[in-house]
Amino acid sequence: MQGEILFLCVTVFTAGFAIALGVIFPALGQGKACAQALESIARQPEATGPISRTLFVGLAMLESLAIYVLVISLILLFANPLLRYVFH
Amino acid sequence: MEEIFNPQVLFYLFTIPITKTIISTWVVMAFLVLFSFVLTRKMTFIPGRLQNVLELFVEAIINLIEGMSPGNGRKFLPLVGTLALFIGTANLAHLVPGLKAPTSDFNTAFALALVVFFAVPFYGITTQGPKQYFKEYISPSPILLPFHIISEITRTFSLALRLFGNILGEEIIIGILFLLAPLFVPVPMMLFSIFTAIIQAYIFTILTVVYLSSAVEVSKH
Repeated sequence: MQGEILFLCVTVFTAGFAIALGVIFPALGQGKACAQALESIARQPEATGPISRTLFVGLAMLESLAIYVLVISLILLFANPLLRYVFH
Repeated sequence: MEEIFNPQVLFYLFTIPITKTIISTWVVMAFLVLFSFVLTRKMTFIPGRLQNVLELFVEAIINLIEGMSPGNGRKFLPLVGTLALFIGTANLAHLVPGLKAPTSDFNTAFALALVVFFAVPFYGITTQGPKQYFKEYISPSPILLPFHIISEITRTFSLALRLFGNILGEEIIIGILFLLAPLFVPVPMMLFSIFTAIIQAYIFTILTVVYLSSAVEVSKH
Protein backbone atom coordinates (compact mmCIF):
# COMPACT_ATOMS: atom_id res chain seq x y z
CA MET A 1 0.00 0.00 0.00
CA GLN A 2 2.93 2.34 0.75
CA GLY A 3 4.05 2.35 -2.86
CA GLU A 4 0.58 3.16 -4.14
CA ILE A 5 0.21 6.13 -1.80
CA LEU A 6 3.64 7.39 -2.78
CA PHE A 7 2.63 7.08 -6.42
CA LEU A 8 -0.50 9.16 -5.85
CA CYS A 9 1.42 11.79 -3.88
CA VAL A 10 4.04 12.12 -6.60
CA THR A 11 1.35 12.35 -9.29
CA VAL A 12 -0.55 15.13 -7.54
CA PHE A 13 2.63 17.01 -6.71
CA THR A 14 3.88 16.73 -10.29
CA ALA A 15 0.58 17.96 -11.71
CA GLY A 16 0.57 20.99 -9.41
CA PHE A 17 4.21 21.78 -9.98
CA ALA A 18 3.88 21.39 -13.74
CA ILE A 19 0.96 23.78 -13.96
CA ALA A 20 2.79 26.33 -11.81
CA LEU A 21 5.94 26.31 -13.92
CA GLY A 22 4.03 25.94 -17.16
CA VAL A 23 1.93 29.02 -16.49
CA ILE A 24 4.70 31.30 -15.22
CA PHE A 25 6.82 31.29 -18.35
CA PRO A 26 4.12 31.62 -21.03
CA ALA A 27 2.67 34.43 -18.89
CA LEU A 28 6.01 36.23 -18.92
CA GLY A 29 6.26 35.78 -22.67
CA GLN A 30 2.73 36.98 -23.29
CA GLY A 31 3.29 39.99 -21.07
CA LYS A 32 6.37 40.90 -23.03
CA ALA A 33 4.55 40.49 -26.35
CA CYS A 34 1.61 42.62 -25.16
CA ALA A 35 3.92 45.33 -23.86
CA GLN A 36 5.79 45.52 -27.14
CA ALA A 37 2.58 45.59 -29.15
CA LEU A 38 1.15 48.39 -27.00
CA GLU A 39 4.34 50.35 -27.39
CA SER A 40 4.30 50.07 -31.15
CA ILE A 41 0.59 50.94 -31.30
CA ALA A 42 1.30 54.03 -29.20
CA ARG A 43 4.06 54.99 -31.58
CA GLN A 44 2.10 54.23 -34.75
CA PRO A 45 -1.65 54.26 -34.07
CA GLU A 46 -2.49 53.83 -37.75
CA ALA A 47 -0.93 50.34 -37.72
CA THR A 48 -3.29 49.09 -35.00
CA GLY A 49 -5.04 46.58 -37.29
CA PRO A 50 -2.06 44.54 -38.52
CA ILE A 51 -0.29 44.76 -35.15
CA SER A 52 -3.23 43.45 -33.15
CA ARG A 53 -3.86 40.68 -35.66
CA THR A 54 -0.26 39.51 -35.47
CA LEU A 55 -0.37 39.90 -31.71
CA PHE A 56 -3.38 37.58 -31.51
CA VAL A 57 -1.67 34.91 -33.59
CA GLY A 58 1.47 35.17 -31.46
CA LEU A 59 -0.48 35.08 -28.22
CA ALA A 60 -2.32 32.00 -29.44
CA MET A 61 1.00 30.28 -30.13
CA LEU A 62 2.33 31.20 -26.69
CA GLU A 63 -0.87 30.22 -25.01
CA SER A 64 -0.83 26.76 -26.53
CA LEU A 65 2.32 26.04 -24.48
CA ALA A 66 0.40 26.65 -21.28
CA ILE A 67 -2.45 24.57 -22.66
CA TYR A 68 -0.13 21.62 -23.26
CA VAL A 69 0.84 21.75 -19.60
CA LEU A 70 -2.82 21.99 -18.59
CA VAL A 71 -3.70 18.94 -20.67
CA ILE A 72 -0.81 16.96 -19.22
CA SER A 73 -1.74 17.79 -15.64
CA LEU A 74 -5.37 16.95 -16.35
CA ILE A 75 -4.28 13.60 -17.72
CA LEU A 76 -2.13 13.04 -14.63
CA LEU A 77 -4.98 13.89 -12.29
CA PHE A 78 -8.05 12.45 -13.98
CA ALA A 79 -7.01 9.92 -16.61
CA ASN A 80 -3.61 8.63 -15.54
CA PRO A 81 -2.84 5.69 -17.83
CA LEU A 82 -0.27 4.27 -15.37
CA LEU A 83 -2.82 3.80 -12.58
CA ARG A 84 -3.82 0.46 -14.09
CA TYR A 85 -0.38 -0.97 -13.37
CA VAL A 86 -0.22 0.32 -9.81
CA PHE A 87 -3.74 -0.62 -8.67
CA HIS A 88 -4.48 -4.06 -10.08
CA MET B 1 -14.21 13.04 -13.14
CA GLU B 2 -13.22 10.26 -15.53
CA GLU B 3 -15.70 11.71 -18.02
CA ILE B 4 -13.42 14.64 -18.77
CA PHE B 5 -11.61 12.53 -21.32
CA ASN B 6 -14.13 9.78 -21.96
CA PRO B 7 -17.54 11.38 -22.22
CA GLN B 8 -20.29 9.44 -20.58
CA VAL B 9 -22.48 7.39 -22.93
CA LEU B 10 -26.11 8.30 -22.39
CA PHE B 11 -27.75 5.64 -24.57
CA TYR B 12 -27.18 3.55 -27.65
CA LEU B 13 -28.86 4.31 -30.97
CA PHE B 14 -28.59 1.19 -33.18
CA THR B 15 -25.32 0.25 -31.42
CA ILE B 16 -23.93 3.79 -31.92
CA PRO B 17 -23.02 5.26 -28.53
CA ILE B 18 -24.66 8.65 -28.05
CA THR B 19 -22.80 10.97 -25.69
CA LYS B 20 -23.71 14.38 -24.38
CA THR B 21 -21.26 15.86 -26.89
CA ILE B 22 -23.22 14.48 -29.83
CA ILE B 23 -26.51 15.83 -28.51
CA SER B 24 -24.97 19.26 -27.90
CA THR B 25 -23.41 19.26 -31.37
CA TRP B 26 -26.76 18.45 -32.97
CA VAL B 27 -28.48 21.17 -30.96
CA VAL B 28 -25.85 23.70 -32.08
CA MET B 29 -26.18 22.54 -35.70
CA ALA B 30 -29.97 22.72 -35.61
CA PHE B 31 -29.81 26.18 -34.07
CA LEU B 32 -27.41 27.45 -36.74
CA VAL B 33 -29.35 25.92 -39.63
CA LEU B 34 -32.72 27.19 -38.39
CA PHE B 35 -31.33 30.63 -37.57
CA SER B 36 -29.73 31.02 -40.99
CA PHE B 37 -32.76 29.59 -42.76
CA VAL B 38 -35.22 31.90 -41.06
CA LEU B 39 -33.01 34.93 -41.63
CA THR B 40 -32.34 34.30 -45.32
CA ARG B 41 -35.73 32.94 -46.35
CA LYS B 42 -36.95 36.22 -47.76
CA MET B 43 -33.77 37.91 -48.94
CA THR B 44 -34.10 41.41 -50.28
CA PHE B 45 -31.61 43.59 -52.07
CA ILE B 46 -31.85 46.22 -49.38
CA PRO B 47 -31.31 44.10 -46.25
CA GLY B 48 -33.79 44.19 -43.43
CA ARG B 49 -32.75 44.29 -39.82
CA LEU B 50 -32.31 40.52 -39.43
CA GLN B 51 -30.68 39.94 -42.79
CA ASN B 52 -28.17 42.63 -41.87
CA VAL B 53 -26.90 40.48 -38.99
CA LEU B 54 -25.77 37.73 -41.33
CA GLU B 55 -24.44 40.14 -43.95
CA LEU B 56 -22.37 41.83 -41.27
CA PHE B 57 -20.87 38.48 -40.31
CA VAL B 58 -20.11 37.48 -43.90
CA GLU B 59 -18.50 40.82 -44.60
CA ALA B 60 -16.42 40.62 -41.41
CA ILE B 61 -15.08 37.20 -42.43
CA ILE B 62 -14.31 38.38 -45.97
CA ASN B 63 -12.47 41.42 -44.62
CA LEU B 64 -10.52 39.22 -42.19
CA ILE B 65 -9.37 36.93 -45.01
CA GLU B 66 -8.64 39.81 -47.41
CA GLY B 67 -6.47 41.43 -44.77
CA MET B 68 -4.21 38.38 -44.53
CA SER B 69 -4.47 36.85 -47.99
CA PRO B 70 -5.59 39.47 -50.54
CA GLY B 71 -7.84 38.23 -53.32
CA ASN B 72 -8.87 35.00 -51.61
CA GLY B 73 -11.79 36.30 -49.55
CA ARG B 74 -14.53 34.64 -51.60
CA LYS B 75 -12.61 31.41 -52.04
CA PHE B 76 -11.99 30.74 -48.34
CA LEU B 77 -15.32 32.14 -47.15
CA PRO B 78 -17.32 28.85 -47.06
CA LEU B 79 -14.77 26.93 -44.99
CA VAL B 80 -13.57 29.73 -42.74
CA GLY B 81 -17.02 31.18 -42.18
CA THR B 82 -18.46 27.81 -41.27
CA LEU B 83 -15.63 27.08 -38.86
CA ALA B 84 -15.98 30.48 -37.20
CA LEU B 85 -19.76 30.22 -36.83
CA PHE B 86 -19.73 26.65 -35.59
CA ILE B 87 -16.86 27.06 -33.12
CA GLY B 88 -18.21 30.33 -31.81
CA THR B 89 -21.65 28.87 -31.18
CA ALA B 90 -20.27 25.59 -29.85
CA ASN B 91 -18.03 27.37 -27.36
CA LEU B 92 -20.99 29.32 -26.03
CA ALA B 93 -23.22 26.25 -25.80
CA HIS B 94 -22.24 25.44 -22.21
CA LEU B 95 -24.02 28.58 -21.03
CA VAL B 96 -27.30 26.88 -21.96
CA PRO B 97 -28.42 24.66 -19.08
CA GLY B 98 -28.23 20.98 -19.93
CA LEU B 99 -25.83 21.38 -22.81
CA LYS B 100 -22.06 21.07 -22.75
CA ALA B 101 -19.70 22.81 -25.12
CA PRO B 102 -18.99 20.28 -27.90
CA THR B 103 -15.49 21.71 -28.26
CA SER B 104 -14.61 20.70 -24.70
CA ASP B 105 -14.55 17.14 -26.02
CA PHE B 106 -11.20 16.35 -27.58
CA ASN B 107 -12.87 14.43 -30.42
CA THR B 108 -14.74 17.50 -31.67
CA ALA B 109 -11.69 19.74 -31.46
CA PHE B 110 -9.52 17.20 -33.25
CA ALA B 111 -12.13 16.68 -35.98
CA LEU B 112 -12.20 20.42 -36.62
CA ALA B 113 -8.40 20.55 -36.77
CA LEU B 114 -8.39 17.61 -39.20
CA VAL B 115 -10.69 19.56 -41.51
CA VAL B 116 -8.04 22.29 -41.61
CA PHE B 117 -5.29 19.67 -42.03
CA PHE B 118 -6.93 18.36 -45.21
CA ALA B 119 -8.13 21.74 -46.47
CA VAL B 120 -4.59 23.14 -46.63
CA PRO B 121 -3.28 20.72 -49.33
CA PHE B 122 -6.65 20.86 -51.10
CA TYR B 123 -6.52 24.62 -51.58
CA GLY B 124 -2.77 24.51 -52.21
CA ILE B 125 -3.03 21.90 -54.97
CA THR B 126 -6.09 23.43 -56.64
CA THR B 127 -4.41 26.84 -56.70
CA GLN B 128 -0.80 26.06 -57.59
CA GLY B 129 -1.04 22.59 -59.09
CA PRO B 130 0.40 19.48 -57.42
CA LYS B 131 3.94 19.94 -58.74
CA GLN B 132 4.38 23.45 -57.42
CA TYR B 133 2.69 22.61 -54.12
CA PHE B 134 4.83 19.58 -53.30
CA LYS B 135 7.95 21.44 -54.37
CA GLU B 136 7.40 23.59 -51.27
CA TYR B 137 8.09 20.52 -49.14
CA ILE B 138 11.60 20.01 -50.51
CA SER B 139 12.59 23.66 -50.63
CA PRO B 140 15.17 24.95 -49.97
CA SER B 141 16.65 21.46 -49.69
CA PRO B 142 15.25 17.89 -49.50
CA ILE B 143 16.78 17.48 -46.02
CA LEU B 144 13.95 19.62 -44.68
CA LEU B 145 11.22 17.26 -45.91
CA PRO B 146 10.73 15.48 -42.54
CA PHE B 147 10.57 18.82 -40.73
CA HIS B 148 7.90 20.13 -43.08
CA ILE B 149 5.83 17.00 -42.49
CA ILE B 150 6.32 17.15 -38.72
CA SER B 151 5.32 20.79 -38.63
CA GLU B 152 2.10 20.01 -40.54
CA ILE B 153 1.20 17.34 -38.00
CA THR B 154 2.16 19.22 -34.84
CA ARG B 155 0.33 22.35 -35.85
CA THR B 156 -2.82 20.28 -36.33
CA PHE B 157 -2.41 18.91 -32.81
CA SER B 158 -1.72 22.34 -31.36
CA LEU B 159 -4.79 23.75 -33.13
CA ALA B 160 -6.95 21.03 -31.61
CA LEU B 161 -5.36 21.10 -28.15
CA ARG B 162 -5.56 24.89 -27.86
CA LEU B 163 -9.30 24.96 -28.48
CA PHE B 164 -9.97 21.89 -26.34
CA GLY B 165 -7.76 22.97 -23.43
CA ASN B 166 -9.14 26.50 -23.23
CA ILE B 167 -12.79 25.51 -23.32
CA LEU B 168 -12.32 22.53 -21.01
CA GLY B 169 -10.30 24.61 -18.54
CA GLU B 170 -13.04 27.23 -18.48
CA GLU B 171 -15.66 24.56 -17.93
CA ILE B 172 -13.70 22.96 -15.08
CA ILE B 173 -13.22 26.31 -13.34
CA ILE B 174 -16.95 27.04 -13.55
CA GLY B 175 -17.66 23.52 -12.28
CA ILE B 176 -15.35 23.94 -9.29
CA LEU B 177 -16.89 27.33 -8.44
CA PHE B 178 -20.32 25.67 -8.59
CA LEU B 179 -19.15 23.07 -6.09
CA LEU B 180 -17.84 25.75 -3.72
CA ALA B 181 -20.64 28.32 -3.92
CA PRO B 182 -23.46 27.65 -6.36
CA LEU B 183 -25.22 31.00 -5.96
CA PHE B 184 -23.94 34.00 -7.99
CA VAL B 185 -20.24 33.20 -7.43
CA PRO B 186 -19.73 31.47 -10.81
CA VAL B 187 -21.45 34.29 -12.71
CA PRO B 188 -18.33 36.50 -13.21
CA MET B 189 -16.42 33.46 -14.42
CA MET B 190 -19.25 32.61 -16.82
CA LEU B 191 -19.14 36.15 -18.18
CA PHE B 192 -15.40 35.75 -18.66
CA SER B 193 -16.03 32.45 -20.43
CA ILE B 194 -18.09 34.28 -23.08
CA PHE B 195 -14.98 36.36 -23.78
CA THR B 196 -12.77 33.25 -23.92
CA ALA B 197 -15.20 31.47 -26.22
CA ILE B 198 -15.26 34.28 -28.76
CA ILE B 199 -11.49 34.82 -28.58
CA GLN B 200 -10.86 31.11 -29.14
CA ALA B 201 -13.19 31.02 -32.14
CA TYR B 202 -11.39 34.08 -33.52
CA ILE B 203 -7.97 32.52 -32.98
CA PHE B 204 -8.97 29.23 -34.61
CA THR B 205 -10.35 31.17 -37.59
CA ILE B 206 -7.33 33.43 -37.93
CA LEU B 207 -4.87 30.52 -37.70
CA THR B 208 -6.86 28.64 -40.35
CA VAL B 209 -6.57 31.67 -42.61
CA VAL B 210 -2.83 31.89 -41.93
CA TYR B 211 -2.30 28.22 -42.81
CA LEU B 212 -4.48 28.43 -45.93
CA SER B 213 -2.85 31.60 -47.18
CA SER B 214 0.61 30.10 -46.71
CA ALA B 215 -0.53 27.17 -48.87
CA VAL B 216 -1.95 29.20 -51.75
CA GLU B 217 0.65 31.90 -52.05
CA VAL B 218 2.91 31.18 -54.99
CA SER B 219 6.55 31.09 -53.95
CA LYS B 220 9.02 33.44 -55.57
CA HIS B 221 11.94 31.09 -56.03
